[in-house]
Amino acid sequence: MSRVMPGRGRSALLLMHDVSSSLRTLGKRSVLALLGIAIGSSSVVAMINIASNAAEEASMIFKGMGVNTFVAHLSTANEKRTPAYATFDAGQFRKAVPNLLNIAPTAYVGASVVFKGRSLNADLIGSTGELMDAMDLTLRAGRFMSEFDQGETYVVVGHSLAETLGAADEPLRTGDRIRINNYLFQVIGILQDRPDTLLIPIRANDSLFLTLNGMRRISPLAQIRNVIIRVSPDQEINAAATALVDPLKQLPGVTDVAMLLPHQLMDGMSRQNRTFAYLLLALGAISLVGGGTGVMNVMLMNVTQRRREIGVRMALGACRRDIRNLFMLEAITLTAVGAFCGGVLGIGFAFMYAHLSDWTFFLAPAALPLGVISTLGVGVFFGLYPAVLASRLQPVEALRDE
Amino acid sequence: MNNTTIESLISLKGINKGYKINNNYLPILQDVFLTIKTGESCALLGASGSGKSTLLNILGLLDSVDAGEYRFAGHDVCSATPDELAAIRNQQIGFVFQSFNLIPRLNAIENVALPLRYRSMKPGDARQRAQQMLAEVGLEQRAHHRPADLSGGQRQRLAIARALVGQPSLILADEPTGNLDPGTADDIMDLLISLNRAHDVTLVVVTHDSAIARRLNRQIRVTNGAVQELCPCPA
Repeated sequence: MSRVMPGRGRSALLLMHDVSSSLRTLGKRSVLALLGIAIGSSSVVAMINIASNAAEEASMIFKGMGVNTFVAHLSTANEKRTPAYATFDAGQFRKAVPNLLNIAPTAYVGASVVFKGRSLNADLIGSTGELMDAMDLTLRAGRFMSEFDQGETYVVVGHSLAETLGAADEPLRTGDRIRINNYLFQVIGILQDRPDTLLIPIRANDSLFLTLNGMRRISPLAQIRNVIIRVSPDQEINAAATALVDPLKQLPGVTDVAMLLPHQLMDGMSRQNRTFAYLLLALGAISLVGGGTGVMNVMLMNVTQRRREIGVRMALGACRRDIRNLFMLEAITLTAVGAFCGGVLGIGFAFMYAHLSDWTFFLAPAALPLGVISTLGVGVFFGLYPAVLASRLQPVEALRDE
Repeated sequence: MNNTTIESLISLKGINKGYKINNNYLPILQDVFLTIKTGESCALLGASGSGKSTLLNILGLLDSVDAGEYRFAGHDVCSATPDELAAIRNQQIGFVFQSFNLIPRLNAIENVALPLRYRSMKPGDARQRAQQMLAEVGLEQRAHHRPADLSGGQRQRLAIARALVGQPSLILADEPTGNLDPGTADDIMDLLISLNRAHDVTLVVVTHDSAIARRLNRQIRVTNGAVQELCPCPA
C-alpha cells in the first residue's frame, strides 16, 4: 500500500501556486466576492467606530469639570428674618478640613444694573476673594476682590455682561462706575470668557461679583445659598464633604446642608456611558450579523457553484486534505483582502461621518479587530465548511449535477 | 501484489450496489463477477438505467459497493480509506467523461497537469509532462486556451490527455463520444484505441453504440444489474 499513500509532504509552494492561479482565474466572480466581503467588513468597522465616536462626543459635556471641587447647598428656615452675613470666616472650616484649598460662600440676588444710561438685569453674586480660585476664574483686566475690600463698593464683571454694558466706542473698563439700585460701584476687574459647568450653579459670564458687605447694601436679606469648596487633589472628597456638614450647619439660620459632589455627576455620566456601551454592542452585533451574512452568502455561493469541480478534482486524485487546503487558502486570501479593504473603507466612512457631524474623530480600538476578525472567521468558515462537506461525499455524488 | 499468481488488474466478486430512494431499496447491480486483465480493452454495453455507469463508477473507485469483493491492482478496495482510494485513482486510473469535466477556469495545460499536482510533482516538471501529453493528442497549439475556447472534439482530446498524463494502468471512459458528432467520435475512438495499444493501458468504455463496442477486445452487456460477456476474447 505504501506506493499509493497520498502525498503527505505536498509543499506549501504548490498550494500557493494553486491558490494564486485559482484566484486569478476566478476573475470577475472573485471581484464580486471581494466587494461583498469588503462591504460586510466595512459596515461593521464603520458602525462600531461611529458609535464610539458618538459616545465620546456625548461624554465631552462632562469634561473640564474639576473633580476636586464640590458645592454645599444651604437651606435656611426663614429667609426673611435672618439678616445677611457681612463676613464669612473661612478659618473655622479650615480647622475641620486641613486640606481645604478654597471655600467661598455665594449669596445671590437678581438686580438691574445701569452703566452710562444702559440698563440690564444681571445676577449679583456676593462672595469673598476665595471664589476666584474656588471657581478657577481668570481675569481679563484688573483684579478680583480681596479680604481687604469688605467695606468697599467694588465689583468684578463677568465677560458677557461687560460686553453688553459697554458700547463699541466706550467699552467697560476698570475704574468705571456702575449703578446698582441706588449705589454706585466701581469696576475693579473684568473676567475672561468662562463656559458654565454642570456642577457650579453660577453663570460667571452674566454675573457681577461683589463683596458680602456690598451685597448687603443692595439686599439686606440675601442669604448664602451655596458654598463652593475646592480641596487639594490628594484629599478624599467624600470625607471632606462629610466633615464640612456640621460646621456649615453652625452658620446662623442654616437648617440643612446638601452636598453636590462631582462624582454624583460622574455616576450619571457612567450610567450614560453604560447606555452607550449597550447601544454600541447592539449596533456592533447587528452589523456583525448583517455583514457576516453577506460574507457567508458570498462564500457559500462560491463553493456550491464549484461542487462539480470538487468531484472532478477528487476523481483526479485529490484527497480530502487537498480540497480542504485549496478552499481554505482561497477563503483566507479572499476574505483577508476583502476584510482589509473593508477596514480601510469603514474607517474612511466613519471619518467622513465624524467630519460631517462635527465630531472629533478617533479610531475606536474595537472597530478594526472586530470587523476584520469577524469577517475572516465567517468567511473562512463558510468558504471551507461546504467544501469539506463536499469532499466527504463519494466522488460520484459530488460529480453529479446539482 | 498477490505473491502466488499474476493478478488481474480488476477483479469483482459478488458485487451488489443499490440506492435507497424514499425508504425503498432500489438494486442497481446484483451479484456482479468481472475480471479484466492488464492491457485489455472492454466495452460496457447496455440500455439507459441498466447500471453500466454505476459499474463504471465502482470500477473507477468513485463509488462504494454495498456487498462483494473488489480488488484493484492488488489493493482491497473495500477496506481502503477515502484518501488511499484518492491516491490509487491519482496514480492508476484516468477518467474520460461524457461531459468532459474540464475545469473551466484553468487553461489546457493547467487542466492536463492537474493530476500530477496531486502527486507533488514540481510545477515545472508537471507542465513539461502536460505539454508532451498535449502534443500526443494533437493539441500542442492550444496549450493556453481555456476549455470554452475549444471545440467538443478538442475538449475530449484534452480530457484524454489529462487521463493519460499520470501514466495510469486503466482508462475509464463514460460514453466518451456521446456529445460529439460521428466524425469526431471516430477520431476520439481511434485515439483511445491507439493509446490502449501504444501504452498497454487497460481501456474500459461505456457505450450504447455497438459499432464502437465491436472495435474493442471484449464486449460486456449489462442488463438489469447483471453482466454478461458477449464475445470473450482472451487477450
